[in-house]
Amino acid sequence: MQATELYGRQILLTPTEAVALPPGTQQLPAMTVTPQLVQCRRCGSVLDRQLAQLPHQQFYCYQCLTLGRVSTLTSLYHLPEPNHFSKRPELTWTGQLTATQTACATQIKQAFIRHDRHLLWAVTGAGKTEMLFPGLAWALQHGLRVAVASPRVDVCLELAPRLQAAFATTTVAVLHGRQPEPYQYQQLTVCTTHQLLRFRAAFDVLIIDEVDAFPFAANPRLYYAVEQALKPTGALLYLTATPSTALLQQVRQKKLTISYLPLRFHRHLLPTIQVTLAPKWLAKLQRGQLIRPLQRWLAAYATSGQRFLVFVPRISQLAKVQAAIQQAQPTLIGLTVHAADPDRLTKVQQMRQAQVQYLVTTTILERGVTFPGIDVIVLGADDPVFSTAALVQIAGRVGRSKQRPTGAVRMIGASHSRRLKQAQRQIKLVNRKGRRLLNDMSTLSATTND
Amino acid sequence: MTCLLCQQPLTTKLTLAWVLSWQALPRPVVCDTCWHRFRPIESATACPTCGRAQAQRQVCQDCRQWPTEPRFYNQALFTYNDAMQAYFKAYKFGGDFRLRTVFQNVIQQRLAQLSGDLVVAIPVNPSTMQTRGFNQVTGWLSHGENTSLLKTKASHKAVGQAAKNRQDRLLTTQPFQLATSTPALTEQTVILVDDVYTTGRTIRYAAAELLENGAKAVIWLTLAR
Ligand SMILES: [Zn+2]
Ligand SMILES: [Zn+2]
Ligand SMILES: [Zn+2]
Repeated sequence: MQATELYGRQILLTPTEAVALPPGTQQLPAMTVTPQLVQCRRCGSVLDRQLAQLPHQQFYCYQCLTLGRVSTLTSLYHLPEPNHFSKRPELTWTGQLTATQTACATQIKQAFIRHDRHLLWAVTGAGKTEMLFPGLAWALQHGLRVAVASPRVDVCLELAPRLQAAFATTTVAVLHGRQPEPYQYQQLTVCTTHQLLRFRAAFDVLIIDEVDAFPFAANPRLYYAVEQALKPTGALLYLTATPSTALLQQVRQKKLTISYLPLRFHRHLLPTIQVTLAPKWLAKLQRGQLIRPLQRWLAAYATSGQRFLVFVPRISQLAKVQAAIQQAQPTLIGLTVHAADPDRLTKVQQMRQAQVQYLVTTTILERGVTFPGIDVIVLGADDPVFSTAALVQIAGRVGRSKQRPTGAVRMIGASHSRRLKQAQRQIKLVNRKGRRLLNDMSTLSATTND
Repeated sequence: MTCLLCQQPLTTKLTLAWVLSWQALPRPVVCDTCWHRFRPIESATACPTCGRAQAQRQVCQDCRQWPTEPRFYNQALFTYNDAMQAYFKAYKFGGDFRLRTVFQNVIQQRLAQLSGDLVVAIPVNPSTMQTRGFNQVTGWLSHGENTSLLKTKASHKAVGQAAKNRQDRLLTTQPFQLATSTPALTEQTVILVDDVYTTGRTIRYAAAELLENGAKAVIWLTLAR
């Protein structure tokens, strides 16, 4: 095994594989087993003793199996990160940042210089990636090891080519579960947060994009992975449009500094969520009927030709909703689509090309899939499948285009759930900051015009 | 509780059978969707020798290559399809020992139906035991230790079945021998349990070893064929 494969990594090997290791390689126990605790040292999961048990008093981790099984029969191998990078990569990107983006970019760079832990709360559609470039350029110039990670593979796949283009003279290493290529030691890495579990004190700068994409179970392991992969003195940047309460709590506890980018590139505020309480919407749907307000909106859409998305909590409700819409407004033409739909891409394409007027769906589809000038309706918005983050993301589909920077976000639920209230609160807060920024900017332009 | 195979939440449906059963039925560990991806083999029409699923009950093409031996036959519970392949990938090769519980009940139920005197698991070789940490067959039967009346001979090379081509596998020499502390096999019907029936070579060697040492008959039970 090459030393570069172990720099800043923790690689899992069985005793038979752990031969011919480079000098200085550290062997670390893969699990902690005491009478009180069974814990995986790679992913940090505290395990159920019964479930983790193998014969003969051995144990394994059932939480991070996709990276190869950690067990008491294996060890982790590590070499400290030496920052052996010969080149000093240049920023080859020549684009321009807007005034607000520049202000944010400067804050990010400062956070890197100060080795801060920082949260950037930027609205959906703000152009986050470009704002990273000045800070990244500084870090790479100073020989620091940098990673940009996201819980979502599709986010990584979108980021990697953009970063590669922005730093054309260096090679960006890309790591994720669907990647067949072997690991390479590079100064700049783009990876899933899951892959961070293979690193140990590797990165001087670590950026986590869309940190709240999976608001539930993945989180404790995600934070553990981040702490493992970051050098103790490293700078950490979280990017999100919908910070979780856990992150905001870290801000309150002064473990994280925070900055906001509350305006979209077209400088309009986020559309707010209108909630309609309808305890019987589901019972009515079972009978093939739609609640009154929904009927009114559909009638308006049938006249105006305005395009819209309808979100439902369950795949089994898709066909029922479409049938009911068909019944109510026969001139509306639409399709149903869900995450595992084999025809998903063609259906999305049909919607983009305006061949159909609406989609009924269970998922917010891929990142980057935007339908300009769309309206959104959510049925069963109080259902637990819609997390606060998901509701904010759904609302964020609206008002993306310069031509129609506003739009309607209507959410129907049997109750006004905590998640729904939180989503409304988040949007309100960002808009308040946005309004203030707009004011500041207008005073600023007024003074410069003088 | 989530499904062990797809991680979706398990919705516990209270079936009538559940409610009426005197003792609690074993709790399901996989969801209905995942469970129905496995194809049970209809034993009435399966190959009488190897247990393969067929339209009609007759000795299948593969089995005609082997000399007839009336004292042993195979029973297989499921067809080796994509779902089963994925299962073995996660259980045997991925080492997720929790997955033993997916088939524990069906295998133990079938064992109870077959009237055998002795149950013997095909052992795994010691180097596999060293890395995998369990015997996948005894995982279904008990706690996954590599204890068996049979053991792999020390000289037997630890080459995985998958690494060998069919010809090589057919040429392998007897890999098993009886463990020293074996109770008398005389007049005993032995049920020999293995994970997958592929060529039938491995299990035939194991059966031969048992028959030579006095067993009356050997029934093979494999999870998949
Ligand atoms: Zn683990
Ligand atoms: Zn399942
Ligand atoms: Zn046969």
